[in-house]
Amino acid sequence: MGRPEPNEIVFEIDGREVRAPEGMMLVDAAKRGDVEIPYFCYEPKLGQPVGACRMCLVEIEGMPKLQTSCSTPVKDGMVVTTTSDQVKKAQNAVVEFLLVNHPLDCPVCDKGGECPLQDISFGWGAGRSRMIEPKRHFKKPLELSPLVAIDRERCILCYRCVRFSQEVAEDYQLVFLERGDHTFVGTHHGRPYVAPFSGNIIELCPVGALTSSAYRFRARPWDIEDSGSLCPLCPSQCNVSLTIRDDAKVVRVLARDNADVDDGWLCDKGRFAYQSIHSAERITAPLVRDGGYLREVSWKRALDEAEAALDKAGERTAALVGGQATNEEGFLVQHLLRKGLGSPHVDSASGDVRGPEQARVLARPDLAAKVSDIDHASAVLVVDTELVDEAPILDLRVRKAARRNNARVIVASSRPSALDPNAEATIRFAPGMADAVLAELGAALGSPRGGVGFASRGGSREEDVRGAAEVLRDAEDVVILWGERVAHAERGVQGIEALLALAGALGIADKPESGLIEIPAGSNGRGLREVGCTPRLAPGLQDADATGMSATEMATGEHPALLLVHTDPVEERRERDEWLQALEDAGTVIAFSGFRTDALEQHADVVFPAEAHAEKEGTLTHPDGRLQRLRQAIGYPNEVRAAWWVLAELCERAGAGVGAESPPALTEKVAEAVPFYAGITLDEIGGRGVRWQEREAASSLPAAEQSEEQLEAPPELAPGLRLGVRPSLWGGPEVEHSPSLSFLAGQTRAELSPADAERLGIAPGDEVVVSVNGTSVRAPAAVRSAVNAGDVFLVGDRLPGGSVEVTKA
Amino acid sequence: MQRAGDEGALQQPLPPGWDEAVDVEADPAVIPDPAEVDVPSDLREEIEALMAKYPDRHSATLPALGAAQRVHGWCSNEAIRQVAAVMQVTPAYLSSVVTFYDMLRAQPIGSRYVYVCTSVSCHLSNAKAVYDAIWEEARDQGLEDVELREFECLGACDMAPMASIDGRYVGPLSEDDAPEIVAALREKREVLPGRSLEDKGYKLPWESR
Amino acid sequence: MSELRILTEHTDRDDLHEIAVYEELGGYRALRKALRDMEPEQVLGELEESGLRGRGGAGFSMGKKASFLPKGSMDKFLCCNADESEPGAFKDRLLMQKNPHLLVEGCIIGSIAAGANKGFIFIRGEYSHQADVLDAAVAEAYERGYLGDRILGSDHSFSLVVHRGQGAYICGEETALLDGLEGKRGNPRLKPPFPANQGLYQGPTLINNVETLCCTPYIIDRGKEWFRSIGTEQSAGPKLVSISGDVQRPGNYEIELGIPVRDVIYGLGGGPPEGREVKCFFPGGSSAPVLTAEHLDLPFTYEDMAQAGSMLGTASVIVVDDSQPLVPLALRLAEFYRHESCGKCVPCREGTNWTVKMLERIDEGEATPMDLEIMAQVQENIIGNCLCVLGDSMAMPIGSMIKHFREEFEAHIAAARERRQLEEAAAFSAGELAATAEAGPA
Repeated sequence: MGRPEPNEIVFEIDGREVRAPEGMMLVDAAKRGDVEIPYFCYEPKLGQPVGACRMCLVEIEGMPKLQTSCSTPVKDGMVVTTTSDQVKKAQNAVVEFLLVNHPLDCPVCDKGGECPLQDISFGWGAGRSRMIEPKRHFKKPLELSPLVAIDRERCILCYRCVRFSQEVAEDYQLVFLERGDHTFVGTHHGRPYVAPFSGNIIELCPVGALTSSAYRFRARPWDIEDSGSLCPLCPSQCNVSLTIRDDAKVVRVLARDNADVDDGWLCDKGRFAYQSIHSAERITAPLVRDGGYLREVSWKRALDEAEAALDKAGERTAALVGGQATNEEGFLVQHLLRKGLGSPHVDSASGDVRGPEQARVLARPDLAAKVSDIDHASAVLVVDTELVDEAPILDLRVRKAARRNNARVIVASSRPSALDPNAEATIRFAPGMADAVLAELGAALGSPRGGVGFASRGGSREEDVRGAAEVLRDAEDVVILWGERVAHAERGVQGIEALLALAGALGIADKPESGLIEIPAGSNGRGLREVGCTPRLAPGLQDADATGMSATEMATGEHPALLLVHTDPVEERRERDEWLQALEDAGTVIAFSGFRTDALEQHADVVFPAEAHAEKEGTLTHPDGRLQRLRQAIGYPNEVRAAWWVLAELCERAGAGVGAESPPALTEKVAEAVPFYAGITLDEIGGRGVRWQEREAASSLPAAEQSEEQLEAPPELAPGLRLGVRPSLWGGPEVEHSPSLSFLAGQTRAELSPADAERLGIAPGDEVVVSVNGTSVRAPAAVRSAVNAGDVFLVGDRLPGGSVEVTKA
Repeated sequence: MQRAGDEGALQQPLPPGWDEAVDVEADPAVIPDPAEVDVPSDLREEIEALMAKYPDRHSATLPALGAAQRVHGWCSNEAIRQVAAVMQVTPAYLSSVVTFYDMLRAQPIGSRYVYVCTSVSCHLSNAKAVYDAIWEEARDQGLEDVELREFECLGACDMAPMASIDGRYVGPLSEDDAPEIVAALREKREVLPGRSLEDKGYKLPWESR
Repeated sequence: MSELRILTEHTDRDDLHEIAVYEELGGYRALRKALRDMEPEQVLGELEESGLRGRGGAGFSMGKKASFLPKGSMDKFLCCNADESEPGAFKDRLLMQKNPHLLVEGCIIGSIAAGANKGFIFIRGEYSHQADVLDAAVAEAYERGYLGDRILGSDHSFSLVVHRGQGAYICGEETALLDGLEGKRGNPRLKPPFPANQGLYQGPTLINNVETLCCTPYIIDRGKEWFRSIGTEQSAGPKLVSISGDVQRPGNYEIELGIPVRDVIYGLGGGPPEGREVKCFFPGGSSAPVLTAEHLDLPFTYEDMAQAGSMLGTASVIVVDDSQPLVPLALRLAEFYRHESCGKCVPCREGTNWTVKMLERIDEGEATPMDLEIMAQVQENIIGNCLCVLGDSMAMPIGSMIKHFREEFEAHIAAARERRQLEEAAAFSAGELAATAEAGPA
């Protein structure tokens, strides 16, 4: 499909000649000539203009009536006037109409001082109202959800919030009800507007009608400052602007539009989980086990105890690095282990299982897509990931591609996806059997590596695979969003081979706007691999000198010293019982953590207080290879110190100092160690980030060739129920410790097919017990028509792999 | 417009929901999974047939809601859930449509209807008095389960003043017709036989077309 | 003064809705001709050159509108606008109820001209009997092979669905109709894009009124010259007028455009009741600015009504006699538009609501002559600033009433104030008396 390249044209506005790309909406083009046209409903992020507010009327030569500049594309030679009497009269009229039923309660309005209605009434209104009739008065504010309050008196029905719900998030929960001057924004039957992206409507609202329950009356615009950073809570790594009050407190999170990353949207987790930063539960001083309990101690003592334990354990130390760790932290951990202690045992918390050569092939720039490629792809293939839970903002991106640019979406996943209704083809397969489907799909598209007949062994219908192949065959540019889950399956290595075979069949390497984007299990999964937090790869995806234990192997090992950086494997990994045992058996457990968890409370010996993301400096690498910068917005509470400093100190004490004493210097060290990051600095990364694939140093990626071997046929599916384990967006300590979001935390669900539910005598909502080899969890049952018979999905909780049983509690 | 029971002329009643917070404890109203909703099979088949008539199934929304209203008497929460499950749309989408259109009932105000036109031409022909007479008669006779309201122009100004009784256009009416109209409704008889536009041989008193 | 009998030639019969009767009277002959003896371009050309203007209100050339649809093999749609809801209009109801096959044939001919393959008749839900009649007619037409694939063995295929609305005047606005047909709230869309390019389901779409489409079989059958020979140069062809309000013989009449308004109101409608005079009239439905007795001798045409400051619109004449006070009429009119405003754009939503409140205040004796000025300005502020024409449809007639009858409005304001002051004085003294009584003798 490719990207259109607009012509530059010249038009005249208020007597000035202005250049603009052809087809740009007049209201935007006017800005290029320093002409401001007021508007409320226009918001290009929401799609086509609606022309509802009538605020942006202008005079265009040759047109008898005033035109809405939000919906008029500029043309060469157009002559526009925004200052004539006719235009002014219309602007005055619209402002007067807007205020007919507006309460003018600015002094007690949370939007006061940052309100477009206030600004536009002042700038373009007549300054008086002739309306003396009684206005509508209603109870206010009312709860629209636990997160959003609504003041219907202030609402000007600009359509922004409902368009967001209907045409961007596509949750279609927020609507206009009634008609004419009775119209109001609401939901069905008094239900709350609870959806993954609901908070965006607050930011979109141009008046004080939709306000954040968490932010209401916390600050006036003159009390606050903005601080740009990014949200490290998931791999989407959205760009955010933190609202800081009194240089000390994060009171709000807003989107900081970056079309290459997030399109200016945030999920509710990213928007509201800032509350956890100021939670009273946070660990804000070093802790050491003393008399059986973790007690606050001096930094000196904590560092000394850690140093002693590491020194003693030496090459038998093992380290696990959580997905939110920065590149710098990850680099320091592996440096400490490999160079300081001589231990090869370092892995990311999600566990890196791919072969070194596979890792290098998957990193090849010619196979990589960037986020904005999704917008213009002719087909988008989503493989075994539920984007709305695992990288929410990309779920919106795929919807946008389908809605606005007619991208054809294919979903190949074991669990039914929220994107199924947008998909032209869907393929269901048994949990863990992505390799079978990918191989068959590749074969259908002409891959020489085989795969015919595999799909049925993966539990899929062949006609579904054919349907998907049909769509892909016609597609010019294809973006494949694939979940790291493919690699973590029992047959994960074959899964990656099948994926690469499919990419080969699609000719992705030869198409600059086609490519793969991996959705990692951890926020900085890509960065951590590239800086060497993996048992088989050193920084820069080079073979490590010695192969260490993987996360899975660590679970069953006995470790004289175990270093847990921003992770509690008992809370995060599937083999929870094994890890509990491993922690119990470990000589010394040293952790970096923001919160006390049960496992740390019981087994940690030294705990360093972790910074919250608003307190942190460092870089993360986006799944599409964009290095982005996390910037410190507020100071450390109490005794908290930067984890990078602690790790650098431990390296120093282990005799492997890195010689960097500031975050920028450390980033330079990382860039030195990773050849394809060479030369990257914080300045270059700036506020928008930089994709390493687009820099010259990208050529330093170690060469890697795709295998040409025939794919291995999967075995027949075993009988019985098959379990898929899925995270929920609402997992993690940040949600749990944010009062606004706590109503969403800890929700679990067991999803069954109607056939299995009937067979097991389970009705929707029944409490069920799901067990694997003696480990069991309870969850309410959900019966979903689109789940394949034989499959069970546990959402928001974890169980190890093995044969699963579901019974009614 | 006025509904049965509303005193006073043309006071637009506040729509439900205007002045109430949502139930924050409740689950959001998402698209119901077909496996979780029981739909009467006739209604399901009718809606499925309607969806098949159009290039885009959403086009069946208005007729599907009309069908559900016939089954349930109004567009109740249950009716909306059933349509939502068959059409695979959100209940909010349907609520939004229901509350936009005058003929879809968002409240249980009667499963039959009497729309008395009081719009411009009927206004000139004193239709308000006819409406008031029917309203008083309905109150006196205790007429139930009928939505009685003033209605905007019904496209029958030639037979002004007039009313539509469950789709049957009758007129010209006078205040004297009110007792018979209400009695016929109560007894579920045909209202004013011979005086409906659809009756064979119907002619206006002055015999124009 | 004679009436025409073309579209209404056989509408007195009780059996015209049956396909056999319609065929016997020459029905579907034009369709055969269009399919067998003419190329689609010829059909389009014939319509374009016939001078047929849209009968739904705007009066745009039907053929030209059809010619705007792009060529090509994509799905193209024809929508018949049968959402007749304008106060004063009831002509389409007659055609659909009495002569449904004429509309079906008209839709098929329209689809040939526009190259459309899928058609919908959007009929207002209140017309349930007429919708039943159309449903039966469409079924009959399918049975006879006039609808469906390869109609009468030609290359042209066309399907037709009768779609019932659920009560919303705004769905008569062509883009709101499309939203209604797509199953949404009937909100008008921004134009451009125009329906000819992006209409129903974003595809090219031709939208025509019932009466417009009903003219097409005659044009094909009898030729464009015949059609042009009726009426005036700019107002060609037969036209149905709906006459209502204060006349002795309200009803639908078929006329040749160009006859004097007086002939329409007095000759056909019988004029106001004995002893009354015409005070004013809406020449084209309630959205048309009112004209007064001095305009009675103008020719009833698109062009003359426009020149007089009003419009022919749907040619629905509502007559108001000299016994009717205007303030209650204006209020009733404003209430209609407030109720029917979709609420999408600000000037219409708030302007109709504000106007109703002002008129109520006038009627209740709480207004001064200055309020009349504000009300007139509010109407001006609505006109031309809205997304669709609904806001203007209130503002233009209300504005015209104030313009032509300012004195009556002022007198009404004064009288209502006086009445109110008397009432208040009476209430005050009653209260004073009561208070004195309660306090008892000192």
